[in-house]
Amino acid sequence: MIFTYIFTAALLIVSLIMQAHTSFDVLRIAGIKPDLLFITIVYCGFSFGSFYGEVTGFIGGILHDAASSSPLGLLTLPKFVIGYVVGFFGRSVFKGTMITVFILLFLASLVKGIITLVLCYIFHEASITSVITVIFPEAFYNALLAPLLFFLFDKIFEKELEREGY
Amino acid sequence: MVFVVFFLFCIISLSVQTSGMTLSLEGMGRAFVTPFQKGYNGIQQNIRMLWAGFTELGDVRDQLRKTRDKLQHYEAVAEELGEIKKENDRLRKLLDMQKRVQYDSIAAMIISKDPDNWFRTIVVNRGSADGVRVNMPVIAYVGEEKAVAGKVVEVRGSVSVIEPIISTSIKLGVMFQESRFPGLLSGYAANSNFAMIDYINKSAAINLGDVVVTSGQGGIFPQGMLVGKVIRSFVSESSPYQRAIVAPIVNYNQIEEVFIIKKEPDKELVELMGKVE
Repeated sequence: MIFTYIFTAALLIVSLIMQAHTSFDVLRIAGIKPDLLFITIVYCGFSFGSFYGEVTGFIGGILHDAASSSPLGLLTLPKFVIGYVVGFFGRSVFKGTMITVFILLFLASLVKGIITLVLCYIFHEASITSVITVIFPEAFYNALLAPLLFFLFDKIFEKELEREGY
Repeated sequence: MVFVVFFLFCIISLSVQTSGMTLSLEGMGRAFVTPFQKGYNGIQQNIRMLWAGFTELGDVRDQLRKTRDKLQHYEAVAEELGEIKKENDRLRKLLDMQKRVQYDSIAAMIISKDPDNWFRTIVVNRGSADGVRVNMPVIAYVGEEKAVAGKVVEVRGSVSVIEPIISTSIKLGVMFQESRFPGLLSGYAANSNFAMIDYINKSAAINLGDVVVTSGQGGIFPQGMLVGKVIRSFVSESSPYQRAIVAPIVNYNQIEEVFIIKKEPDKELVELMGKVE
């Protein structure tokens, strides 16, 4: 299990640094970049259950808030909520096929975006146009990348998944 | 149980955003992330330089020849400019005008940008140890044009956080270069690469492509610095003012290097602006 913790922590840090680096801007489409950290959190919830998902989501969210100019908690809350919810409908319910992963990430990103928008509206500042300019494009982009990343993560966590019985 | 604790933590933290505890937690998080970001940036820069050493040798030789030619040309221009400057100083003295203030600047490399699509900030490799202070203006070069990139909002030992002019939180006093009508610029929307000028007098004639410069009224930016060009303007019946959308000269997605101008903000003006906000 210690292997899972170490690799999850490494994946969180690597994905955060990658998506914050200027070279990552080449991946922007219509000003949007994918949320690698979020895809990692959804993977953890999907593969290792709701508790692991929410803890990974919370730690990843805190790091994301710290690296971003957002108020502390604004990016953390949606991440651990999604990590927790996805844990319920994880591998024990759905098979990790390409289509399942695409739909899962699209829906999870949409819900994450809506929670963020509501929190921005209450605690920061928000515009409803963000649904079109941020939430939908990001959800689509995350969903597009997710099957490839899930495949890579499956290879990294191969032994752990076998132990879990998948 | 854990879920409830996490949930309460986030809600309380969001409710007391400016409290010392929240800020120090965020500071600790940033202090943890920054070394990784700097390390990754260093590795990436070294690899890029190593690769450039192999691939760009021919280009560099070519550029060196061109630069030498240019240098010869500019040496001649500099002599001519020296004469013009002396004449300008003499005429200014005659007119009893104040000398235009020149500021020093610090070159800074961007080590990271905001990792989220909702917010826009830039982290650079210069901090308080290099003389950077909060509210110092930041510029960048696009080709040979020098334009406003943003302002410093947070300073740590060796890094600073810059808020770009497309951020919805920024408030920047601007004016139209031709008509001299003033307005207040801020980011257009989350994730947008445009900025919007509000509070423009309705009688101002705004044309597509009009150049926008800083007005110098906010106490942070010097007057007359290039900001962007108008791409659209609109008048609302319900508002006594008109608005304009501006495409900044400095593109947030392409910016890699900036210059922090060592200009201390006008404290009284900044405090006054803070109270108004």
